[in-house]
Amino acid sequence: MTNHHLLLIADSDSQLLACQALAQALRQCGACVTINAIPREGTPQAVIDALKRGGELWSQTKAQLLRDRRLADFSAIGVYLAGSKLAEFRSSYHRSCDQRQREVLPLFCGFNGVVLERFEEAIAWRLGYDLICLNGPRDQARLEQVLRHTPFAAQHTVLTGLSRQGGQAPAAPPQVQPQMRERQLVFAEQVVMPSKPGERRRMVQLLARLAQRSPHWQVVIKPRVAPHEATFHSVDTHIADTLREALGSLPANLQLSYAPLPELLRQSRLLATVSSTAFFDALDLGCQPVLLGDFGLRQDLGTPFFAGSGLVRQLGEAEDLDALEQGLTIDPAWLHWVGYHPDHSVANLLAALERRGEQRPDATPLKPSGYVVNAGDLSTNQLRCGAENAISCRDYAEAERLLEVALLQRPDNRNIRRRLQAVRYSNRLLRRLALLASPAFRL
Amino acid sequence: MRLGLICDGQTGQRASELLAGALQPHGAEMTLFSGTPPQDSALGWLPLEPLAAAANPLLFGFDAVGVFLEGEALAQVPRIHRQAATLHQQQPVTLFSGPMRPLYGDALSADLLARLDYDLLCLQGDMQVQHLQWLLRGTDYEQKPSIAIGLWCLPTHPVGHRPSQQPLLVVLDQPQIPASPLTNAVLYERLCNAARESPSWLIRLQPDGPLAADPTADPSTWPETSLCWHHHQDRKPPANLQLGQADELAWSVAQASACLGLGSDWLLPAVIWGKPTLVLGDYGIRTELNGPLFFSSGLMQRLVDCLPLHEKIPALPAANPDWLDAIGWAVADGPQRLLLKLQDQQP
Repeated sequence: MTNHHLLLIADSDSQLLACQALAQALRQCGACVTINAIPREGTPQAVIDALKRGGELWSQTKAQLLRDRRLADFSAIGVYLAGSKLAEFRSSYHRSCDQRQREVLPLFCGFNGVVLERFEEAIAWRLGYDLICLNGPRDQARLEQVLRHTPFAAQHTVLTGLSRQGGQAPAAPPQVQPQMRERQLVFAEQVVMPSKPGERRRMVQLLARLAQRSPHWQVVIKPRVAPHEATFHSVDTHIADTLREALGSLPANLQLSYAPLPELLRQSRLLATVSSTAFFDALDLGCQPVLLGDFGLRQDLGTPFFAGSGLVRQLGEAEDLDALEQGLTIDPAWLHWVGYHPDHSVANLLAALERRGEQRPDATPLKPSGYVVNAGDLSTNQLRCGAENAISCRDYAEAERLLEVALLQRPDNRNIRRRLQAVRYSNRLLRRLALLASPAFRL
Repeated sequence: MRLGLICDGQTGQRASELLAGALQPHGAEMTLFSGTPPQDSALGWLPLEPLAAAANPLLFGFDAVGVFLEGEALAQVPRIHRQAATLHQQQPVTLFSGPMRPLYGDALSADLLARLDYDLLCLQGDMQVQHLQWLLRGTDYEQKPSIAIGLWCLPTHPVGHRPSQQPLLVVLDQPQIPASPLTNAVLYERLCNAARESPSWLIRLQPDGPLAADPTADPSTWPETSLCWHHHQDRKPPANLQLGQADELAWSVAQASACLGLGSDWLLPAVIWGKPTLVLGDYGIRTELNGPLFFSSGLMQRLVDCLPLHEKIPALPAANPDWLDAIGWAVADGPQRLLLKLQDQQP
């Protein structure tokens, strides 16, 4: 059996948290894992501290990482970044290995939690990775449908599951023992589900009324981010402001809490959410999840993902939380379908990496005629890098071609426009002067 | 069978008229309920708005009623009709509905979820059928009846127009897409360059929908997110870059030597009518540009790879036939399949 020595790379808070859970599970399987948190403004210090406690943590930029000789010591690299950065990393890493004549390590990527929307886009950014980690059969079925009629149908995937707290999902649905826990419901807020201000006000009103009808319970709203923190989605109105707008004064048994979610889940009987991945954290930590079904099955809310769980309830119609707590039985077939099952775990990733170590198949080309994938050097930064390479080789026609595409994507970027104008000069002296006067792009 | 179709809006009306036209030759007696009379005056028509139609006892005289609406009325019609049936002590009629555009991915999910209260879902091809099964697996709606009836909502029958004598590239301009005026400005600039590079070609910016509610509206009031607006603002557009009229869309596509678009529905009739077709791939696969639908089409190219037009257009790859089949082109007997399914659904 191979000794796996893995590097996980992430930047935003949610991706770092996903890597933390992944690393914990991989270490339990005997792998040695280092996490590199790419420095990023707004990342909560608590997340960084937790990563440090868990094991080896680096914090290098992408450029520093690519230069780092220690990369060669790893057996594979897992990349957990936003779509365009995923593609950029893969491309830069391969180029860097070519330039430095280093062995190319297997690259894998995945998703940080459930995938509720834009799945096709997400896959189009991830194509070309040696392995794409998917949560469960639901995602795999979707991927097969999306790629079936494309040249990318042979893309390798592996099911690594939705267990979030670093362990393996149990074979049977977890049993909750309510008598051991406080009469407390924690609501996992999401910054964009729902996104309309009116619906967000309605959401907190539903929770407040439920709290009023349940005086022996505590209702705790756990904001996704603190007001000064950043996440992938930008937030116009923080949930604390929505509460003030919608309710004025809060019921005595309703409060906001910025305590870590796992801590709240360990002490609470119930977790409620619209469609947060916290649903699976709750399962891991023995807290009974329930889904807020008052807004119906809507793609923009991510609720269709949970529709088969058996746990969707109308909070507005619940008599009180004692009544809501009764008869919450999760459907085991649904748990397997979405990936919360021991069949789907990081052990599959390690086994797949081992198989790939023995036999490295050729990568599928990402630019066959008639097909465009986002991973095929199509991010604006990749295009600009490619243009700079072309300029350095005096291939101005190619630079013009790449900058034209980059300008279509980022029409507001004046530097791209200036660079494009520069390469278009046919007079060598004018072109040279214009290139000197326009800023070159560097990642 | 006596079938009613409740519709409104340009998309719903067009789709319903196409469906009525396809079902009539197979013996269905069709009546449209809409605020606007159908183009085909031989088609039965009652001037009733959707919600009024849903409550009207006339509906009980039909074997089934198709509902092709957008917005809140879509969810209200089944509720109102069933309430009216209770009050009239009648059995509600079978209500059917389905996507009125070729959709896939999130857009298809959103569209289907809004129609789950209907008795039968009309889909287009295997891609939509599989998506529906995937979406509803394990839910209370898992057994929702559905039927694939092909690309019923688009004109796909052969048309009689001859292609233009001068090579003509029809650029299908979606008035609201891309959503940034600046993006449209840059794309317009690129099309001007393409026109200048290929003087033997005519490039026509063809809106694929109305640019304003009033067709006589001043062009300066057109959306800035349309290429046509940018053409109007251009004091010196290339002589071979011209505007098409919104009401001449089908004629324009039929006349084209080749078609180009980002994600317009009208790219599909162009493919089916055998036009070399180019789906602009410069923005990658993006949900808001209908990218998921065209991902496996084999038609995506970067604009720069298609210039000059006279060299590159003849060499464009054909559409991926597996994709074309899967989006609905493989279903040749859609109207008969729908009628049979509706007969099965009768109480």
